[in-house]
Amino acid sequence: MRRLTWSHLTLPALILTLALIPGAPVAQTKKLVYWTHWEQNPDFNKWYAERGREFAKKTGYEVEVVTVPYQGYEAKYLAALIGKSGAPDFFNGIAHQWCGQYDFCDPMPADLARLWDESIPRYMVPIGKWKGVRYGTPIEHGNFQQMYLNADLFKKAGLNPDRPPKTLDEWLSAMKKLTSGDGASGVVGFAIRHKGHPVGITDKFLPFAHAFGARMLSPDLEKATGFANSAEMATALQFFVDLVQRDKVASLALGGPEDAFGQKRAAVIFRESWFFGWLRKNAPDVTFKVAALPCGKACPGAGALFPWTNLVYKNSPNKQVAWEFIRSISNAKDDLAQHESAGILPVWTANLESAYVKSRPDYASTQEMLKQPVPPTYFHPKSNELATAFGEAVVNALYGKGQPKPLLDEAAAKMDKILKD
Amino acid sequence: MRRRTYLDRQRRAGLLFVLPALAYFSLVFLVPLVESVIASFYRTVPGGASRFVGLRLYEKVLTDSTFWQSVRNTLTLLAWSAPATIVLALIVALGLHRLVSLRWRSVWGAMYFLPFSVSLVAAALIWQWIYDPVYGLLNYLLSLVGIPPQKWLQSLDQVLPALAVTNIWVRLGFDTMVFLAGLQSIPGEYYEAAEIDGATRWQCLRRLTLPLLNPQILMLSILELIFNFKIFDQVYATTQGGPAGASQTVIMLLYDTAFKYFRLGEASVMAVFVFATLLAVTLVQWRFLRRPVEY
Repeated sequence: MRRLTWSHLTLPALILTLALIPGAPVAQTKKLVYWTHWEQNPDFNKWYAERGREFAKKTGYEVEVVTVPYQGYEAKYLAALIGKSGAPDFFNGIAHQWCGQYDFCDPMPADLARLWDESIPRYMVPIGKWKGVRYGTPIEHGNFQQMYLNADLFKKAGLNPDRPPKTLDEWLSAMKKLTSGDGASGVVGFAIRHKGHPVGITDKFLPFAHAFGARMLSPDLEKATGFANSAEMATALQFFVDLVQRDKVASLALGGPEDAFGQKRAAVIFRESWFFGWLRKNAPDVTFKVAALPCGKACPGAGALFPWTNLVYKNSPNKQVAWEFIRSISNAKDDLAQHESAGILPVWTANLESAYVKSRPDYASTQEMLKQPVPPTYFHPKSNELATAFGEAVVNALYGKGQPKPLLDEAAAKMDKILKD
Repeated sequence: MRRRTYLDRQRRAGLLFVLPALAYFSLVFLVPLVESVIASFYRTVPGGASRFVGLRLYEKVLTDSTFWQSVRNTLTLLAWSAPATIVLALIVALGLHRLVSLRWRSVWGAMYFLPFSVSLVAAALIWQWIYDPVYGLLNYLLSLVGIPPQKWLQSLDQVLPALAVTNIWVRLGFDTMVFLAGLQSIPGEYYEAAEIDGATRWQCLRRLTLPLLNPQILMLSILELIFNFKIFDQVYATTQGGPAGASQTVIMLLYDTAFKYFRLGEASVMAVFVFATLLAVTLVQWRFLRRPVEY
């Protein structure tokens, strides 16, 4: 065996020395790490990385996008944010949870917060705020459900897709005409959400509740009894349950409502503005139109249970750079470019009349829904738990495990306990 | 000073050999367990302050109907899965044991064992497709013999039996291998002697095989109990506890409580409950089912 000589040691020693000396000429990639659970919008997420490359030319920081699967994302976020190491520098989340229930968010610099407040539609101003302080930048305008309808199925049923139903009565009558089976064979009128976590089921039921003039919590968000189990709410839930059990215009045999609509097994679905991009990509053969949600006693209006925003982690060593990156994309041009790439409605008011937005099939319906009164919002730190308790009542009623009113009474009592706890 | 004897040195060496495993066990299991018990007495906000609340969280969890519903679901799933898995595994192992060709025994054994090596989430997704009411293989096969389509995972009544079938499919291979190893270690002379005494096959199984397999039966009963009580992956990936909470298990509720509602104290109470239940049942099984076996 050859003996170890000084020359053998020189090269590794040199490499080690260079690596350890600060500022040594060894290529170092500095990264801002961004976490998102919007797995359904890969183009939207990719845009941050693309824009990050330009940002790197000025600051040396690139943006690394990490897409965390939606199912169970809270656990991953929480573990990382508590643990500090391995946590993102900025992330997609809900302000009242990550900044309200916890203290994980860095407040937005005042001038940037002012710019955002002045640049977004009125109904979006509370989104990204907690107790009046702006933490996050709202990322989706049109984060409220609208009615996507399959134009071909409408025509086949003798309905005019250009004159969608305006009231719940008209809507139910149209659903009956559209239904020719249970989705497994034939078509159902409405793709109902009945699977998955109860939080999602609550989200999909709320437009019906709001149309019946009901609300899930008191305006000060301190009480559920008298609201979650009001007579209006019970009527709304009975209407929702009847869609499945009595009128049979919706089916529990179908899986995800998005797939059912994309596969032409359901004629109508209620979804947000991103669904336009999703359909364009995943079901390009579906001819669809978008309309405002039907009104009952009230109109559902533009409201969201999940107000997604980009938040900066307060313990990030790069939080100032993260804010600089957010500042660099806080303008109408970038807002339009990013949202157009993914088929989502842009956030800035200046873009609401852009050629892209006007060309979208939801342009008129968005305008129409924005004119309606803003529906109740439930931006409470325990919104997940509250929506779960409520959603359990909804799904239990859908599956015939009880009558709407007693189930809502039970849910309201549980929600009050959560609120008091 | 007393001189170190050979036995002392052996003891010391033994201790040193055990030490890494002991350190690993303490760090990975014991410390979290103790922390979990302590956390069950505190109301904790992740990343924030903790407040001692005594037994309040126990009272809250143990009077919650959702919690008991999840316990009922878990026990039902256990009752559907565990006995069926053990009985089927024993039947398969007896069949494999009778195969004279070692090659074929290995091939069949590997086939039964294969599902055990598949990721639980992947297995769950495969079964989700099999059970799909619209596109599923199972309903397609049923349609060939004129049986109307079933809702399987989307039915309140069928979801737990359907999940139990998945469990059995996953666990059968492992249990079979354990039984097969047990069968192979029973000396053939016993059967020859029994045959000379005029014992029938059934008598051999009842009086000879089953008593001699007692350690394996006991071990698998405990393992199946633990596996089914802790079940999470398959349920989370297929039904997320649905429909209408019909398949929500204790561990799923624990997960939601900890990571969706961020109530670490209540989640710790559930963890302590699961631990105490498993410990108690295991001790009972150990005390009443264990029989000394000598070949």
